[in-house]
Amino acid sequence: MKKSKVLTVALLLGGLSSINAQLIDEKDVTVTMDLQPVLQLDMTTPNQVEFVFDEIDEYYSGITQYGATILKVSSTVSWDLYAVGRSTGTNGPEFWDQHIDYGNGASVNAIPDLPLSLLELRQNQINNGAANATGAFADYSAPFPPISAPSGSNSLYVFNGTNTPPTLDHKYIGGHAGSTGAGDFLPGGSYLTSSGTASDYYYSIDYRILPGLPAIFPMAFDELGTTAEDIVSANAAGNYAEPGVYTMYVQYILLEDQ
Amino acid sequence: MKLLISILTLFQFITPSIANAQIHCGLVELVPNTSINELLTFDDFSKYQGGMIINSVAKVRVRVEDKAVVDPLCSWSLTMQIDNNPGAGTPITEWEELTQYGNGLNANPSIDFLEVRVRNACQTSPIDGTFQTFTNNGDLIDIITAFIPVTPADIIPSGSCANGVNGPGSYLTNYSEFNFDIDIRVKPDFNLNPGIFQLNITFHLEENQ
Repeated sequence: MKKSKVLTVALLLGGLSSINAQLIDEKDVTVTMDLQPVLQLDMTTPNQVEFVFDEIDEYYSGITQYGATILKVSSTVSWDLYAVGRSTGTNGPEFWDQHIDYGNGASVNAIPDLPLSLLELRQNQINNGAANATGAFADYSAPFPPISAPSGSNSLYVFNGTNTPPTLDHKYIGGHAGSTGAGDFLPGGSYLTSSGTASDYYYSIDYRILPGLPAIFPMAFDELGTTAEDIVSANAAGNYAEPGVYTMYVQYILLEDQ
Repeated sequence: MKLLISILTLFQFITPSIANAQIHCGLVELVPNTSINELLTFDDFSKYQGGMIINSVAKVRVRVEDKAVVDPLCSWSLTMQIDNNPGAGTPITEWEELTQYGNGLNANPSIDFLEVRVRNACQTSPIDGTFQTFTNNGDLIDIITAFIPVTPADIIPSGSCANGVNGPGSYLTNYSEFNFDIDIRVKPDFNLNPGIFQLNITFHLEENQ
């Protein structure tokens, strides 16, 4: 009797499994997407931007190179863009490299160490990703200040000769320090798809050097833009810039907001 | 125990009458039914800008045959269903994240970034030639609509080259009706988290009940 019960249950289960088999077939397509971050900075600029001071009025009013550099951004991720002043370090990490010293160089008041921050930048478009900035100047969009009112509003960011990113107290061209997800970045996009005359992905950069007379470079300020670094403030009264040929370079760095 | 046997026996007699009602065809299969993996690599700005499209990423070929004793209700339906592996903790509306580059401050891609198009020469599917999107994990889109229960009026025979062909037939004899080319398109946003993400589409062929 027991055997027959087991047989019945077995038959029953076997029968159920076969009769329930509705005809079905399946095929799978798996789609894998590799989203690699792409950041492109297209730059149009001459290899050398030259400032030749051979007239007195050029010392007084400075020389401005309008639109000398055009920066065009394309990014698939949120981004920040900043500029940093650098040199090869001949005269020190925060000074221009002196290649030629005009004259005999005997004057003790002639200072060969010109601060990198004497170079001023002006961007044509305000930085719309800097709401969280806490410094005196969030970007380089202010007009160049007159010689009668020296200001660090446009002095180039310099950090001990390195390309260390600026902090919240310093200047960015686009976006800013931090990764809070609001007020410190510009969203992904491209100058290719932006329309109108102003775009967060297109910047025209003007350069100015204003030596003053005597040549002390009154627009040189520290990275905060608050402490003067002109020749006199950094050295002693009566000092001035030693005539000669100097070079430095500006590094533009586009990085993911992080 | 006697009672149990009686119930089981009774159930056995009832069940076949229900289950047998579902089998109208002799064969229902996709050829081939092996899995396909497609990798879309976005490593250039123009790919982000224009998106990537893969035509004929898969060919879904249907073969449905009558039984030896022909059942006039033999017909079929074909669906596609999206799966984002929710068991791994993937939010219902997003692609499954396999790895992430960077800090992940932005959003992961949502499922609707994947577009799927089905087409064949006879345009038998109601969605033929139009890119479709899914919204949530488990969403299902009909390629050939199911009929439950099926009636003879619901069956559109093969060879008619008409919308909704669902009678017995094969891609071997009626290629334009029983083959479906599958195209996919992805156009990611500029503000997505970079990383590797995955979705699975299951094409499900089933005879009408």
